[in-house]
Amino acid sequence: MGEEYDVVIVGAGITGCGIARELARYDLRILVVDKEEDVCCGASKANNGMVHSGYEPKPGTLKAKLNVRGVELYPRWAAELDFKLVQTGSMVAAFSEEELPALEKFLERGKVNGVPGIEIISGDEARKKEPNLSPEIIAVLWTPSAGYVEVQQVVLALAENAVANGVRFLLGAEVTDVLVEGGRVQGVVTTRGTFRSRYVINAAGVYADKVAEMAGAREFTIHPRRGTLIVFDKREGKHLSCFIGAVPGEYTKGGGPMTTPDGNPLWGPSAIEVADKEDTAVSAEDLRQVIEKDGRFIPNFPTDTVITYFSGNRPATYTEDFFIEPSAKVHGFVNVAGIQSPGVASSPAIAEMVVGIMKEYEPLHERPDFNPYRKRFVPFRERSREEQAALIAADPRFGHIICRCEHVTEAEIVRAIHSAIPARNVDAVKRRTRAGMGRCQGGFCGPRVAAILARELGVPVTAVTKKGPGSELFAGRIEDLRLEKGAAK
Amino acid sequence: MNVDVAVVGGGPAGLAAALAAKEAGAPRVLVLERDFELGGILQQCVHDGFGLLRFGERLPGPAYMQRYIDALAQTDVQVLTDSMVLELTPERILYVASPAAGLLAVQAGAVVLAMGCRERTRNQIWLPGTRPAGIFTAGAVQRYINMEGILPGRRVVILGSGDVGLIMARRLTLEGAEVEGVYEVMPQPGGLTRNIVQCLEDYNIPLHLSHTVVDIHGEKRLTGVTVAQVGPDRRPVPGTERYIPCDTLVLSVGLIPENELSRGAGVELHPVTGGPVVDESMATGLPGVFAAGNAVAVFDLVDYVSATGEVAGRSAARYAAGELRDGPALAVQPGANVSFVLPQRLHPERVHAGVAFYLRVKESKERAQVVVRAGGEVVKTLLQVVVRPPEMISFTLTASELARAGAADLVVSVE
Repeated sequence: MGEEYDVVIVGAGITGCGIARELARYDLRILVVDKEEDVCCGASKANNGMVHSGYEPKPGTLKAKLNVRGVELYPRWAAELDFKLVQTGSMVAAFSEEELPALEKFLERGKVNGVPGIEIISGDEARKKEPNLSPEIIAVLWTPSAGYVEVQQVVLALAENAVANGVRFLLGAEVTDVLVEGGRVQGVVTTRGTFRSRYVINAAGVYADKVAEMAGAREFTIHPRRGTLIVFDKREGKHLSCFIGAVPGEYTKGGGPMTTPDGNPLWGPSAIEVADKEDTAVSAEDLRQVIEKDGRFIPNFPTDTVITYFSGNRPATYTEDFFIEPSAKVHGFVNVAGIQSPGVASSPAIAEMVVGIMKEYEPLHERPDFNPYRKRFVPFRERSREEQAALIAADPRFGHIICRCEHVTEAEIVRAIHSAIPARNVDAVKRRTRAGMGRCQGGFCGPRVAAILARELGVPVTAVTKKGPGSELFAGRIEDLRLEKGAAK
Repeated sequence: MNVDVAVVGGGPAGLAAALAAKEAGAPRVLVLERDFELGGILQQCVHDGFGLLRFGERLPGPAYMQRYIDALAQTDVQVLTDSMVLELTPERILYVASPAAGLLAVQAGAVVLAMGCRERTRNQIWLPGTRPAGIFTAGAVQRYINMEGILPGRRVVILGSGDVGLIMARRLTLEGAEVEGVYEVMPQPGGLTRNIVQCLEDYNIPLHLSHTVVDIHGEKRLTGVTVAQVGPDRRPVPGTERYIPCDTLVLSVGLIPENELSRGAGVELHPVTGGPVVDESMATGLPGVFAAGNAVAVFDLVDYVSATGEVAGRSAARYAAGELRDGPALAVQPGANVSFVLPQRLHPERVHAGVAFYLRVKESKERAQVVVRAGGEVVKTLLQVVVRPPEMISFTLTASELARAGAADLVVSVE
């Protein structure tokens, strides 16, 4: 049998990492496992990073409660964990009189849910805040408390702080079974070993239903809902400072254009029900919908400045609410499921709630040495010329620009590869440093990032992957292939 | 650090500019190159065919560049490699990051922008599908194979028939990969005719015109693509989809002048070329800032790139010496069947021998005529056996022809 833990958390997205970080305050041995080689690879990766203000969930739902509470807690997370939180508010637009009742409905909901400062303003007032808005917008629901984060930076911050406080991460470990004896959870079996634990927290995103089934605790269902997002060039980042969306439909608020904290215009997501959890292909229809729908808000936006687009699957439940409960069937097994929008906004409150559930199982003892602080490494590109000069003087690798578009240095890539949650593939380097996230999409820096990964990991460059085993970048070294061919003859 | 002429980029445009600036008498000339070595993209272009106009020879890319590198070594031009320009200010201060030299602020009397171009990506042509490993731009594949000794994949589909893609179809075949075919959305090829013949036909690689990739498959590594025929509107024709198993998709779907520095400094860019608006001296709209080569517009012959570099270098030296005075400029406009023409502005009083024009047509035509008009008057005509969008047309307008134009704006058309 492998190591023993008090708590195993399945899933290293914003939910799992948030719970890990908050449970790290207590005297517990904690293990986080994820089937991917990095954190933040599922639903957390593919959303717009919006911290919704909380006008949208139906009053009385978990979503309503945790969303508003999450918004309250975010500034503290941001201060302690040192990630960017831009609170520029958000808008819902009405293009016609017929859409006004919907704004009224969400104004009322917002008030009941306790959303601070929520109001309906005229189209002209809205255009004073956002001059590029369509002249056809007649009114806007305005919520000043909405904010924006770079989700991958939040998840990394949470994970790094968890590691600093003793949490262990085992990545690339897919859970294949949940051990249950006498109605009590006993641990998990993964592709990288078996780990006994007294508690298992299921934060497996779109796979939460499968993991629950392994434990015999499937008390909900998940149906994946695909969302497609489009990222545009930073140089167009001045079109909008906040999010603007359409009047929400029945199942989703849908997307709208916004600007990320790092300055990229971001459109979407769309919302399409899909049968396959792994179906994250972007269809031409997805792209067309997002461009058409979001283009209505800012008509003069140059969509030919597109940099990339991607899809992710949101883990929706049939009740459309979060499902956060200790299993009624298996003692010690906690489901944290159905975390779709507003999951990012709710994550600090979800973590807080799960801590509460754990405290009902048994008293938790605070660790006197818990350190809530994690310092972000300020990227080279964000520093003053004087600071840049000092960095290069101290380590010449800061003078070696690898990613030309985003000005990412070799030193930062090396740092990412050897960080608390090490980057082990090209996409992981990208998430941490932005290398390859610019307009050339890795055309220039790809070969160099692959070479640095190979050198730092001590593997041949042909073993370097895009996103974990099976996604090797190259067929092989030409020399070796020629030898193989010669031998075959 | 103070220099008279700073050249950004050590490729064919940049080195020609540096040499010309030196020859024109600029005392301190500096070349800033972000790669480890000089040569720019030609370092990885090991196929031949470079320098036919300039040297009367068919040289491989590195050999073409070596001539400039050797010539440069005979001068006191200062070269900083592994040095990336982070920013150019309108006052011509360049901020440069380099492991060896640290963070430099270079004040230049004149600047030549010669950053070259970059490749359009999968996303810039809105290709749908999954996002697996195995999708590369043609230039990246060229670097992997020719410089790093790595074969990206074994069974390859190429989208786009730009020159780099055609050349890589041949290279991949020679290195043991199987190239299933080249797919081109347009009804005519994107690359030079000689490359269609020498890189595809000679190797029995099929070229499918009016076809494109409509889907990409595979979660981790590419497993296949779906191709389809397109109609005259370039939209896929339903029912013509065909699945092709492959582990690699190579994109050769266009090049874009690289102008992050230019844009940051406030240089006016042209909506069609994607590069700075330039005059006959290769001066941009920003005083003391010149541009050359593929940073201005994507050329198809390196000989032209070097030629614009020489003009830019010489002009930059004169500007730094206070000799290039501003005066009234004519506009040069694209007329019928011309997508763009360089230069876009012209100072007639500066033209002594003649001025080189470069243009691309919008549509192919046989037995065509290039016509330059000034205020409706024809000042020059030039017969062309055949004109095609991928093949740039270059001609010289002499000083006497220009004199006929008077002060009227020029319109260049292909009829």
